[in-house]
Amino acid sequence: MPSIDALLDHPALWRGRSAAPAANAPVWPSGHPALDRALGGGWPRGQLIELLGTPFGCGETRLLVPMLAACGREGYWIALLAPPATPWLPGWQPLGIPPERVLMIRTEHDRDTLWASEQCLRDPAFGVLLAWLGGPVETALLRRLRLAAAESQACTILYRPPRATEQPSPAHQRLRWKPDTDGLELHCLKGVGDWARSGQPLHIPMP
Amino acid sequence: MAVELPHLALETLARAEADRSRLTERPLLVVEAGAAPRVHAANRAARRAGAGPGMALADALAVLDTPELVEHDPQAQTAQIAMLAGVLLQFSDHVHPEPDARRILLEVGRSRRLFGGLAALRERVRDALKGLGFHPRIGVARSPAAARLLATLRNPAIPEDSEALRRTLSPVPLEALPLSAATREGLQAIGLRRLGDLLRLARPELARRHGPKLLALLDRLLGRRTETLPRFDPPPELYLTLRLEHEIHATGALAFPLKRLLRRAEAQLRGLNRSLQGMTLELKHREEHTRITSTRIAPTRITLERGHPGIRAEDWLPLWQTRLEREALPAPVIGLRLRATRLLDPPTQGASLLAETPGHPPPDSQLPAVLARLSARLGEQAIVRLTASGIPRPEAAQGTRHDLDAAASPPPPTPAQMICGTALWLQDPQPIPPPLQAHGLGRLEDGWWDRGQDVRRDYAVTRDRQGRRLWLYRCLRSGQWFRQGYWG
Repeated sequence: MPSIDALLDHPALWRGRSAAPAANAPVWPSGHPALDRALGGGWPRGQLIELLGTPFGCGETRLLVPMLAACGREGYWIALLAPPATPWLPGWQPLGIPPERVLMIRTEHDRDTLWASEQCLRDPAFGVLLAWLGGPVETALLRRLRLAAAESQACTILYRPPRATEQPSPAHQRLRWKPDTDGLELHCLKGVGDWARSGQPLHIPMP
Repeated sequence: MAVELPHLALETLARAEADRSRLTERPLLVVEAGAAPRVHAANRAARRAGAGPGMALADALAVLDTPELVEHDPQAQTAQIAMLAGVLLQFSDHVHPEPDARRILLEVGRSRRLFGGLAALRERVRDALKGLGFHPRIGVARSPAAARLLATLRNPAIPEDSEALRRTLSPVPLEALPLSAATREGLQAIGLRRLGDLLRLARPELARRHGPKLLALLDRLLGRRTETLPRFDPPPELYLTLRLEHEIHATGALAFPLKRLLRRAEAQLRGLNRSLQGMTLELKHREEHTRITSTRIAPTRITLERGHPGIRAEDWLPLWQTRLEREALPAPVIGLRLRATRLLDPPTQGASLLAETPGHPPPDSQLPAVLARLSARLGEQAIVRLTASGIPRPEAAQGTRHDLDAAASPPPPTPAQMICGTALWLQDPQPIPPPLQAHGLGRLEDGWWDRGQDVRRDYAVTRDRQGRRLWLYRCLRSGQWFRQGYWG
């Protein structure tokens, strides 16, 4: 019997009825109590998460600021892959994100973005990866990225356009975001825990 | 320790030549040019036929059947000895090359404990040279003169103290000593054959008959008189060349010669106790022959930088391979040249250990190692780090850098920048119609940065119909609104 208990406690084993992922899984705090609860503690490290929505600039980056700040405080690097605009680091710095830890990687194609993300995930120096994808992506490449993410300590966020919802994805979690009157509305399309099953949107207020 | 390279000329040829069979199957002579050309070195096939070093070329040609002749190049030999002296610096800090005698002397007394004894050290030296394609004869003794002498013998012992040195030297024939012909004949005339016979004689009589030079030589051999040798000072840069025997048409095929080059670089840098972070590879191209003219094609230069110093060939090779995949060769490659002018102090071992342990944040001073690979495939411009320029206007506040050197943390934002708010994304300013409703942030005042023009701005945040949160400013001079970027 103890061996079964040990097996069931294994973090890599997901049971359909379990409410949330293992309690001791490493996370980055999301900064929003409701979101922390819904995600099971915070943004999970070692997972691939898709954020689907449009247009750029509605607050979907600001949503992650507490995570970026926590990552920078611990001395990990933050990689921005193919962002649609230039980060304004004097604005990031008062939010607690050390600018010298922010690294931008410019690519020409989504394939390169995915390749570079995978390479970064193999380096233990990175804590958070934000990658922006423009078009449809081969599922095989995403699966590679999922595997690389699962072996890393980093939280990988893929920003994708909303039409990508039509295509199934191997990502650990998929969240659909929409701009709201004073913040963002998040729908969980894929994930574990009560939030994913309930289908209820989550409202995140933005300052 | 004396390291003698009796076959240096042939081994140098063998390293430059990819096709070994050409050097071994047919008789080959390395010839010293001059009024009476002499054989400098002969390969095994030539020696078996009866030709040997020191022979007049005419005599050698008489015994050999159409040998291959190569002219001896003393300058290349000196350069080769200097290169090897650089390699041997890894075993001792005091290295003295003697290019004319094809010999390198090392002071190893202080290194013996580090390498686990003289015999172990001798094997390490032998292996290091063998790895580069050289077969040395090594003599180890208390004095440089005795070491030189022992290096000419086959499998000499390693005398640890002065008594053992005397015993080891005793059976050495007098012909092996660097004596003048008159002295040698004089000694042989009184029936002396071996060095031991000479050492048994009374010193004053020897000095009276054969002069003080002989006594000085004996004293140097036994270590009674010290011999000071100047230290070898290695060149402060890395410069290695390799000529290819066959033309290479595809970048993928460059990996093998490049590996050899990187191995040599590693050995040399280990000797110099230096490390490097970047190097330049030059690909020499074949001349392009058309029916009328032949045009020289400028060599392709590729520079590779990475985030942290290192010398291991296995680390550099995959980087170069990724980098070379992006390169298209304008013409077949006939030679490689590797150079690095900025040599660094080697890093401490601990840093790399820490960075490889998962779950620990990397040390502050280093950039992630993966960036070298990214930069090799995507191009140097792909890796962007932003630096603060100190100018408050947001569009001019940041500079970019693409290198992989560690950077200090930028200064905190200036008060003027704090007024502009904590927007996240920046764009070049674009004029827009005035917003219906905007949340004001503050005013960016004039200052030294405006160069006499009125650039006062009121910053604000608004939300457009699509839900985007825009970062705006109104230029006070014109009243026009501009979009500066995105708030989130």
